[in-house]
Amino acid sequence: MKQFVPGDLDAAVIQEGLCIGCGACIHLCPYFQSYRGKTARLFPCTLKEGRCFAYCPKVEVDLDGISRFLFGKRYDSAPLGTYRSIHVSRAGEKVKKSSFQAGGTVSALMYFALREKLIRGAILTGRKELLPTPQLVEKPAAVFRHGLSKYTAAPTLAALNEAIEKGCDNLGIVVTPCQATAVAQMRMNPMGNPSFEDPTALVIGLFCTWALDFRRFEAFLAQEVPLKEIVRIDIPPPPASVLEVYLQDEKLVFPLDKIRPLVPDTCGYCPDMTAEFADLSVGVLEGRGDMNTIIIRTERGERIAREAERQGYIILEEMPQENREHLEWAAANKKRRGLLRSREAGKLNGEEGKTYMRLSAEVIDEILINGKEDAPCHT
Amino acid sequence: MSYLIDEGKNVQHLLMGNEAIVRGALEAGINVAAGYPGTPSSEIIESFSQVAKERNLYVEWSTNEKVAVEVAAAASFAGLRSMCVMKQNGVNVASDFLLHLASSGTRGGMLLVSCDDPGALSSVNEGESRLFAQLLEIPLLEPGDFQEAKDIIKWAYELSEEIRNIVMIRSVTRMSHASGNVTYGPLPSDTAARAKFNYHGPLLDPENGPVISMILAAPELQHGPQQEKMKKAAAIFETCPFNTYTGPEAPELLIITSSACSLYSREAVKILGLGKRVGILKLATTWPLPPVFLKKHLAATERILIVEEVAPTLEDHVKVLAAESVQEIGPKLFYGKKSGHLPSVGELNPDLVLAVLSRLCAVPYEAAAGVFATEAKALMEKLAPPRGMIFCPGCPHRASYWSIHNALQLDGRGGFVCGDIGCYVMGILPAGFSTVKTLHAMGSGSGIASGFGKLRQFGMDQPIVSVCGDSTFFHAAMPALANAIHHRSPFTMVILDNRGTAMTGFQPHPGSPINVLGETVPALDIEKICRAMGAKVEASDPFDLEKTREKLGHLLEYAEGAKVLILKQACALSPEKRGRKKYEVTVDETLCRGEDCGCNRLCTRIFGCPGLAWDGEKKVSHIDDIICAGCGVCVDICPAGAILKKEVA
Ligand SMILES: Cc1cc2nc3c(=O)[nH]c(=O)nc-3n(C[C@H](O)[C@H](O)[C@H](O)COP(=O)(O)OP(=O)(O)OC[C@H]3O[C@@H](n4cnc5c(N)ncnc54)[C@H](O)[C@@H]3O)c2cc1C
Ligand code: SF4
Ligand code: SF4
Ligand code: SF4
Ligand code: SF4
Repeated sequence: MKQFVPGDLDAAVIQEGLCIGCGACIHLCPYFQSYRGKTARLFPCTLKEGRCFAYCPKVEVDLDGISRFLFGKRYDSAPLGTYRSIHVSRAGEKVKKSSFQAGGTVSALMYFALREKLIRGAILTGRKELLPTPQLVEKPAAVFRHGLSKYTAAPTLAALNEAIEKGCDNLGIVVTPCQATAVAQMRMNPMGNPSFEDPTALVIGLFCTWALDFRRFEAFLAQEVPLKEIVRIDIPPPPASVLEVYLQDEKLVFPLDKIRPLVPDTCGYCPDMTAEFADLSVGVLEGRGDMNTIIIRTERGERIAREAERQGYIILEEMPQENREHLEWAAANKKRRGLLRSREAGKLNGEEGKTYMRLSAEVIDEILINGKEDAPCHT
Repeated sequence: MSYLIDEGKNVQHLLMGNEAIVRGALEAGINVAAGYPGTPSSEIIESFSQVAKERNLYVEWSTNEKVAVEVAAAASFAGLRSMCVMKQNGVNVASDFLLHLASSGTRGGMLLVSCDDPGALSSVNEGESRLFAQLLEIPLLEPGDFQEAKDIIKWAYELSEEIRNIVMIRSVTRMSHASGNVTYGPLPSDTAARAKFNYHGPLLDPENGPVISMILAAPELQHGPQQEKMKKAAAIFETCPFNTYTGPEAPELLIITSSACSLYSREAVKILGLGKRVGILKLATTWPLPPVFLKKHLAATERILIVEEVAPTLEDHVKVLAAESVQEIGPKLFYGKKSGHLPSVGELNPDLVLAVLSRLCAVPYEAAAGVFATEAKALMEKLAPPRGMIFCPGCPHRASYWSIHNALQLDGRGGFVCGDIGCYVMGILPAGFSTVKTLHAMGSGSGIASGFGKLRQFGMDQPIVSVCGDSTFFHAAMPALANAIHHRSPFTMVILDNRGTAMTGFQPHPGSPINVLGETVPALDIEKICRAMGAKVEASDPFDLEKTREKLGHLLEYAEGAKVLILKQACALSPEKRGRKKYEVTVDETLCRGEDCGCNRLCTRIFGCPGLAWDGEKKVSHIDDIICAGCGVCVDICPAGAILKKEVA
């Protein structure tokens, strides 16, 4: 469970350059706000225990505690985290053709869950020019307006908190791995206050190697293209190693080496590539930009995915062994790199109230042995 | 009819020092008065304006102090009697022109009244204006009580006309703002003065030539005669009726003092019963010193205590004279600021003088007043809660700083505010969310910001904001803005337009539609001016927190050149708002989150409007109806929607 110590989130995370701008601390109270991709603390708060600190995925994250809460088992060194099954997937025939990042699995699942009233609303992330705009979506058809990946970090959880504040519950949400960690911590209700009970019914996590810093990415692209005209941004699966920007009838291609400097430092500390604390995790299938990989992790995730498949909203296929192995390799590497980096900075089992993560020495050792750098590199 | 123009013979009125100065000027037949508001000087121009019609005066609040001196100088050049009025900091602003004026000389009697603020009770600093008299080479007079404050004015006009130069009168807060009985003299029966500027005479003809301050490469032509004027003034000062001595013929200790300090000295000598041992030489003519008169008194004693506030100005002058005359008067022992007997910062008071006198004269003194003071303090602490300096309920500055602070925090690049002079200096304190990080003279915030803006070249990427009031904008900030626009310095000037010179009591300025005489005048439009100057201009109502923050956020990001955001909302104490509530505001206790996670008392802990109070027992906030001004701003800061407003019919 989260360790509370007097000290604040601003000092422990924002001032340390660890904030990813996930939005978990926003809309809880007036003190934290998100502005153009960055989270700012407006005034100091004097409370010793607060939700901001409790939910933040970048401070005092007790990996084992979360794993026990979600899966009833310890956090081990498995590269893809705890899961029930893994598949190749895409949107089914019940879903009209639309702009999806890959196979459209994510949009299809949210569409299905809303139509079947398995969730009351979905927290999705659209965009205005380049700025990601998280939103509560209540009409099933509106899900498709929020498709496509916004490769910058987004304050998606601010919209979740806002919806909760308005009294919504049973929400669906699509999140990056760090956001999935925050949502898991919310679900644990670390403050034990009945009005802060689990507000979610379906958490879909996206695979993520890193996200871009919005302000830096915007400044970079503004020099190259009129931001208003961007239709779609893509990072095709390896071995491409490029970022593609689609305009109405033009495509610009930037080598990833030019893009990587726009990645915030904090992504380098992150050990999670496959959103291990989501109900379902979805990424791009390697070598097939129009298909997804889906990892089914929880019981409630499984129920929804199977029902969606049965009703023709998604198609699940078997995952080729080779793809799985490669995914594991990539995930294990991210995990290893994240832990090493965190340990170097004193952020792994570090100072109380300031450390990023807590994990037993035994599991750390396993992870460091698992991750090997010597296979071909994803993104 | 105002008591200031009571024509009863030998009538007495209880007058503030500033009013006594006004009455003195009226008895002297003043025609033109100009000034810039600043505590403790502001009542002088205000009092003139009240009787302007009856006494056929021209009175104005000028754009700044330098312009005020220029306006008054014109009257003098045209043969009228005039006065320019300001606080001590204003003399700095006016000093450029004053230096030229002192050299060109004047015609009709002209007085410069500077009201100093020892202890900086209502100033940014306790600057000292007396030194200007020395620098400018003009005579300086300091009245020692309220009657004298009136009487000395007429005498000063005669002196000014005699030496044909401006004469400086210095008052201090305790002289300007305290009151005493003043016996009136007659007012001139004829108020129909005629002004004409004669310039047909030769260049250096003081009566009929052009008035100019520069004779190229020939300082002897003007500087020489100016020094002659000072010698003449010193000679006149030898018999000045306002220089007085009380005490024994050969005192054990001679106190030399002036202004309010002469009152403290008198009180101290009386309380200690030292009337037969200690003499008090109260000087009204503190520059140049009358040497013969002074030497006579110096010769009569061995030990001298100089009692004055702020800088050891009088002390230095007396010591120089004593050194020059040491053969005549013999060596002396001096006590004062330099010896450490009196403090060199802050105001003096009778207690401080009592303490040093009892020490120097070995008369034990037990301050009975001390007991009273401690008791009074203890009682005050019990009755009044401790409180920092804050903005008034309903003050637009609180709302403006809220938005400025939040915009800078959200921007996240370490931006800051260059402050300026007005109520909004409190932006350095938690009252203004500590957003202000530099604070200097009138208009300097924008000048400094213009400089910071050009440091991009050296890698400085912090966004820069300056704040400036509407009156300050006209006073001194326009040149700074022009500079920034011309040099493309990227900063954002936030003009806090609260419709008047609020800090000093709502004096009009060039942006006001009505002048000090109540006449309708053209009001200059700040927004149009800034736009015409070439700045990118936005305007907003500071009470609309969201819109204001948004607009400022955009301006901060917009990198090109100088930008202006005008925040218009009248001061909560302005005549148009005072005592009128726009909204009836209440707190819904069932919604208030109080100290819980989710608010933690944002309204009372951070926002800090005194209209909001914390109920420590119920753990909820509530509105103090008597204090709340009904602006409704706090409604928009509450995260729980617990603060409700209803428009007052
Ligand atoms: C920052 C980022 C990095 C990624 N990195 C990888 C990677 O390394 N490897 C990999 O296999 N896949 C990665 N993905 C996932 C991939 O791009 C697809 O989102 C995923 O495969 C789902 O595809 P889909 O066709 O089902 O999505 P769609 O049906 O198009 O739906 C996309 C969903 O993503 C949500 N979304 C978009 N942007 C964000 C955001 N910034 N934060 C939170 N939610 C968002 C939207 O709400 C939408 O519902 C990344 C995604 C993001 C946002
Ligand atoms: S909760 Fe998210 S947005 Fe807030 S400080 Fe932590 S990482 Fe940043
Ligand atoms: S403790 Fe609660 S009220 Fe305080 S900053 Fe954190 S979330 Fe806001
Ligand atoms: S800001 Fe609102 S919720 Fe918070 S203490 Fe004040 S009234 Fe209560
Ligand atoms: S409405 Fe609120 S902010 Fe305005 S004066 Fe009243 S208490 Fe203060």
